[in-house]
Order: sequence, then structure tokens, then C-alpha cells
Amino acid sequence: MYELAKKALDLAEKAGAEEAEVYYVSNHSTGVNFKKDALESAKDRLSEGIGVRAIVNGAVGFASTNSAEEVENTVRIAVAEARVRESDPDWVGLPSNGKYPEVSGIFDKRIEAMELEECIGYALELVEGTKEVPGTLPTSGGFTRAKSRQLILNTNGIEIEEESTGMSGFVDVITVNGETSTAYDFAVSRSLDIDFLALGKRASELALRSRGGIKIEPMRTDVVFHPFAFADLIEDAFAPSLDADNVQKGRSGLIGKLGEELTAPELSIYDDGLIDAGMETSASDDEGIPSQRTTVVEKGVLKTYLYDSYTAGKEGLKSTGNGSRASYTAPPGVGLRNFILDYPQTDVIAGTDSGVFVNTVIGAHTANSISGDFSVEARNAFTIKNGALDKPIKSLMISGNAFDLLKNITGAGFDVRKVGGIITPSIRVSDMSVIG
Amino acid sequence: MKDIMQDIKFYDCRVIEGSSTSIVLDNGKIEEISRNFTRGAGIRALCGGSWGYTAVEGEIDLKKGVSAASKLAFSMNSNTPKEEVELAAVNSPVLGKLPEIKIDPRDVPIEDKVELLKSIEAHARVEGVHSTKVMYMESEFKIEYRSSEGVESAYELLNTGFAVSAVAAENGGYQAGRESRFGYGYEVFEKENVLELAKKAGSSAVELLKAKTPKGGTMPVLLDQELAGVFAHEAVGHASEADLVLEGDSILANRIGDLIASPLVTIIDDPTLHEFGYYPFDAEGVQSSRTEIIKEGVLNSFLHSRETAGKLGGTPGNCRAQGYSMPIVRMSNTFIDNGDAKFEEMLEEVRDGMYLIGSRGGQVNTGEGIFQFNAEKGYLIKNGELAGLVRDVSLSGKTLEILNHVALVGNDLKMTAGRCGKGGQLVPVSDGSPHLAISSALVGGA
Repeated sequence: MYELAKKALDLAEKAGAEEAEVYYVSNHSTGVNFKKDALESAKDRLSEGIGVRAIVNGAVGFASTNSAEEVENTVRIAVAEARVRESDPDWVGLPSNGKYPEVSGIFDKRIEAMELEECIGYALELVEGTKEVPGTLPTSGGFTRAKSRQLILNTNGIEIEEESTGMSGFVDVITVNGETSTAYDFAVSRSLDIDFLALGKRASELALRSRGGIKIEPMRTDVVFHPFAFADLIEDAFAPSLDADNVQKGRSGLIGKLGEELTAPELSIYDDGLIDAGMETSASDDEGIPSQRTTVVEKGVLKTYLYDSYTAGKEGLKSTGNGSRASYTAPPGVGLRNFILDYPQTDVIAGTDSGVFVNTVIGAHTANSISGDFSVEARNAFTIKNGALDKPIKSLMISGNAFDLLKNITGAGFDVRKVGGIITPSIRVSDMSVIG
Repeated sequence: MKDIMQDIKFYDCRVIEGSSTSIVLDNGKIEEISRNFTRGAGIRALCGGSWGYTAVEGEIDLKKGVSAASKLAFSMNSNTPKEEVELAAVNSPVLGKLPEIKIDPRDVPIEDKVELLKSIEAHARVEGVHSTKVMYMESEFKIEYRSSEGVESAYELLNTGFAVSAVAAENGGYQAGRESRFGYGYEVFEKENVLELAKKAGSSAVELLKAKTPKGGTMPVLLDQELAGVFAHEAVGHASEADLVLEGDSILANRIGDLIASPLVTIIDDPTLHEFGYYPFDAEGVQSSRTEIIKEGVLNSFLHSRETAGKLGGTPGNCRAQGYSMPIVRMSNTFIDNGDAKFEEMLEEVRDGMYLIGSRGGQVNTGEGIFQFNAEKGYLIKNGELAGLVRDVSLSGKTLEILNHVALVGNDLKMTAGRCGKGGQLVPVSDGSPHLAISSALVGGA
């Protein structure tokens, strides 16, 4: 199919497209999964496909396929769809003049060449890690490695091809004796640098430590969010409001807030497609715009929304390199790149007299993505007493608002984690409402 | 290669070919028309206790696929041998009646679909609404199944549906209202009063702006059909999936035959119903059938694949996959069966508490048996009557406690279509319930 990308572009022009874009992606992944402590299955998945955007008279049509035989037909459909639509006055044009930066750390030959036996080895390390902690058992988990290749071509001269690798491990564990408690841990990386043994061990230690939870009274208190918990809240309750498409359509809680004090004054937030080895690092975004580092919040002040080329064109601005596609089957929309929360780091738990520490939350996706309101169940939560974790908490609900959350940040830990593309340390927020 | 195949005691293939059309109307303007055509296959092979799985897209060479999956299974089994997997025996499926389609959406011109979306949009835009989004979706797919045991079958399905969301804003506050419906033919747009639904989404968003955020706490609650359906699916249905039971990740493990709920509660999973979770046979070629998960309060059956039924005993037929992914145990159409209580009786039963309506999703920890769901909205109940509208309310607690606290079950069962995620795979499902009165539950609020 890769060979057909150029042909598809020519076909689109011949079929009457004034502008056209072909997005090709292929992915080869291998995964080994376990159930309890036994390896259950090995999976090998090869996928590739093409998505075509065709523009006729300022209207866009889109079609996609994973079948080489259907490429011609797909191009014709995209052009025909564009003809059905009225001209879009906001359409400026497909990206052009791509001059791409060098990026590093997104391709690891060892991952590309990895054989099944090695994958089995890493999956077994995850299981072994959990066994170093007596009293727990893994319930499920797995290891995956992947290699992908992406090619973007358009009639404005964009031609950018990139290859990348990635791997990940996750494990769910449960305690086996006495009161049941569960925990999970996971890690993702572009290269072969995850300690799977330690990952399994961490999950088991957390499950064990969470047993015998106490009930706490409803109160307002300091909450320290582990990177897993904080990243979930940021992704679901805050990030949608930065999407320029949501802003332009009146679906963002950040409309009219540019230049305003939005968060705690010591917080800065960057959206960065260029950092070394980031999960969202690449020379280009998913429509051929060169990646960049964007300061979203500078010392508490909101500096910009995030744009793809369409939303940027609508306002006469430049794309921030946030054109993003979930797969070849969808046209691009605005998506986060590596999203970095930067706050002065301290030993944040040691600096907390009393409060609550929350490892993970469930239900963040139910947040109101416009107002930022959320209500989530905290998992593996602990009381904090005199600067140390004290007792596990049985059941805890946390309600709040993402914008208030960012205003009320009073501390951050040293424990920066890559939670997918969101990169954050543990974050302390004052005056949160918790219900035990 | 010959040697390997001697050790492969089972393999099967699913070939799926499908296409989908979506139209997105954003603030009254067409934002996207897209078409997608895909073809691919998922192939499993079993060697001893290990599965090998390959998925390929585009041009498919099944022989090559079977050999690749077999190699994976063989290699897994020689590296980490374990107890043999015994698959429950099954017969070739007999295809029953597929959902009837009166109006084939493929015969409806795209211009008509766009017109329909525009009128849905206009109805959602009630006073106070300042942004809308309407989506039309249509997909058709053909599934062919065959296995090394000689089972061979195929079916084609088509479904159509729409979703509308409206956002209202006032003084920096935002609220959204949503409605969606899915069916098998284009007649879904006639059967359901879609324009009325659109208006409801708009009005709901506007009303919520005025709603108060109540104080949370433990109290008696009344759940509407949608939220109670989400509870049935998320909290009970997932815990009854036999793969989770075997992993030790279900609160329902070792409880078959126990009274685990109020005797008023019967929970069923039925893929034969022509609801959104319908399928004639599952991803293992097993004919679909109805399962009573809880029968009058007693845990009656888990949901099974051939592997889990082989291990635990039970009837397979609930193994499903998204596209070319590896099949896992899933629900279909899951619901709490009708009781006989009337709505007014239930209000009186709750007396002072909260009426929780709709769902913005939720999550559950099946191992510990705890859950959390956010309602779309709610009403305070005072002296057995509905009082003020409230928002940002959620329900959380322990699955078994809620099941035992069911005080009354209504007689107004209603199903809602949706998609359920598990193991990174989404499959179409529906869930439902009549109204439920619960004597005590934890409600989250401000």
C-alpha cells in the first residue's frame, strides 16, 4: 500500500481535487499477555491503511481503506464527498512548506528487531516482579512492542516520512489473603529502558499496602495526586478546553481567558512535539506541520490554545502542530502532543502535614469537559500524616473542578512520570472536597 | 511446519469486511463526511495451554495466517508450557431471524441524510443553546467464521443511528444535553421521534444551567432505567464475565447458587434480542443464547467463552471481538428484568432522597466489587415528591450492597444502546432496567 500513496495523490488530482492529501500508516505490534501468573497468548498484528482528504471548491471530503484494491475507489469517494458539500469559507488550505526539525529517541532498533522469545521474557519479568511480594497475585497484564511507519503527502509539496518504535508493560494485581485490594501499574517507552521486574513489584506493594482501609469523614483537605491520577484529570477535564476547535465552537471553559491568570503562578505547561524520546514526539504532526514546543501556560498565565491547520486558518494563525489522528480512518483533529506540567519540585509528601494521597482515579472520563467539573472515585488512596503516608482509605470520592484544581496547586514531587503523552510529577492541590 | 501443526489442536478464522459512513454536522454546518472500507482477518491457534493470534488487514492469505498464529502458539507453549486448554464442545450455529430492515440506509441519498441532520440540529437549538453537534453513522459488515472443527457460518449486519449533543452556556457555566438512538434500518428515524429527542437534548442542557449541585452523602435513591441499566452492565455484568472470574478479579467468584441480591432482582444477558448488542453467533462461531445471570436474587450463571465454559462449566456464546482483535468474554444486551412497582410507589418508598437520571459513564472495580457512575442529572425527593433539579451527582458504592438494597423494581424496562470497552476493544451493547428504588446508596455531589 505504501507504494500506492503517491499514485493515490495523482489520482485525486485527476479526479478533480484542487488539493489532496494522502496519509499512510502501518503498524506492526507483538504482544504477550498473561492471566494470573501464566502466559496466555501471543498476538501479532499487522495493520496498514490510507486516509485521503480531497478538497474541491473549499469543501473537504474524506475516505479511507486498508485494502490496496480499494485505493482507487477510496480516492473517488473522497472527491465525490467534497463535491456534495458547500464551500467552507473557513478553509484556508492544506499545510505547505514543511521544514522539519530533527527529533531523537523515538526509534530503537532493538525494539524493531525483537523476537517473540524476548517479548515472553519481559512478560515473565512482570509476573516475577509481582511474586517478589508475597501475598499478591497478578490478575492480568502484558507486554507489547510496536513499530510504525507514517507517510504524509499532499499536493502542496508536503512529503514527510517517519518511523518510530514503542513498548509498554502493564499489570493488575490482587491480594490473596484477608481483605481484597487491587492495584495496577504500567509504563510506556520509545526504547528498551523499562524495568519490568520493578514495575510488577511496585503494583504488588501498592495492593498489599492498600489492605485494611479505613473510613474517613467528608472534609476539605490537601490532596496529593500521583501522576496517574493527575494525568487522567488533566486529559479529561482540562485538555478539551484547550482544543481550539472547542474554543471556536463555544465548547470550552477557556473562552476569553487568554492572557489571564489561570493557574497557580508557579505552574507552567508546555505542549511539546520535540522532546527527546517522548511518546508524542515526531518531526511532523499528523498532517505534515512541523512539530514545535508551545508554551500553553507561562507562570500561571494562559498563553494560547492548541491548533491544527484548519482551526488555525480560521483565525489567521499558524498551527501549533497539534493535528492529530487516532488512525488512518479519521481526518485530523486537534490533539495533545507531549503535555508537560512544570512546577517547582520538592519532596511533596514530606511537606504535607495532613491530607490525602491518591494513586489512581476511576471515572475521570465522566468529567464535564467544558466546565471542568469532575467527580471521581479515588483508588489506592492513603491518609497523609506528618509528612508521610499513614493509613489506606477504603473508599473515597473526590469532586472538584479542573480549573480550580490548577489554581490551587501548592506543590509537586520529584516523581515525574510519562503517562502516555502527559508528563507530570505528583501534584498537591489544597482545599479539595473528599467524601469517605 | 508440519511438526508444529501436529501440536495445534484447534484454530479458527474470522474474516470481516465492512464499510461505514459518518456525517458530522457541527453548529449546523457539515464538518465531516467520511467513508471507510476495511477488510481483515483474525486468526487464533491453540497449542496446549497457549494461544497464538494474528491479525492481518487488507489482502488476506488465510493459510499464511493460520501458520503464523500456530507458530506463535507453539513457541509460547514450548517456552512456558501450562495446563491444556479444553474448549467446551459446540455445534455449528443455526442462524435465526436477523433484524428486519425496512428502509436500507444505503438507498437513502446523502443529501436526504444531511437534511435530516439539519432538522435534528434545528430542534436541538432551543433558546439558550449556543452550540450543537449531530452525528449520523451507518455501518455494514460481513463476518465469515470457520474453524478446524469444521464449523462454518457467516452473516451480514447493517446498523444506523445518530447522536445529538447540545451545549447551553450562561455566566461562564456550561451544561450539555445528549441523546442518541441506534437501529438496524433507516426506519429508526421514523420509529423514534428523533426531532423530539433533539429538543429534549437542548432543553436538558438549558435546564441544567439552573440546576443546583446538592450535598452528597448516604441516602435512599431512585434510579432511572438508563442509570440502573448502567449499574446492571458495569457492576454486575462485568463481574459475571467468566474470564474475570477465573483471573480472580471478580467479587462473584465462587458465589454461584448464593443469594447475592434482593429476591426482586433478575439480571439477564440476551444477545438474541434485536437490540444494539445483537449477534446470531459469537466470535467463536457459537450460537447466541439467553443467560440468566441473577435469578430472583440468586447468582445463576456467568458469561462464557468456550475456554471459560470448558474450565468452569457453563454455556459459551459470549465471546466477542472488535474488528480483528482477539475475542474475549463480553456482554450483549444486559438488563434487569421487570418487576411490578409503579413509579409513584417508588417515590413514596424513597421518601427523602434523590432521583438519579441518565449516565455520563462510569467505572467499576470488579475485583473489589465497587463502582462509580456519574448521572446526567437528578431531582431531590422530599416527602415522596420530586423537588428541585440537581446536577453533578454521582452514585458509588459496593455492588453487592446495592443489589441487596434494592427495595422495589419498576415495570417500565427500557434499553439504551451504547458501546462497551474492555481490553482496549469496543463492542456494541445495550443495557437497561426498569426504575429501581434503592434503600441506601452513596451519592456524590459538591
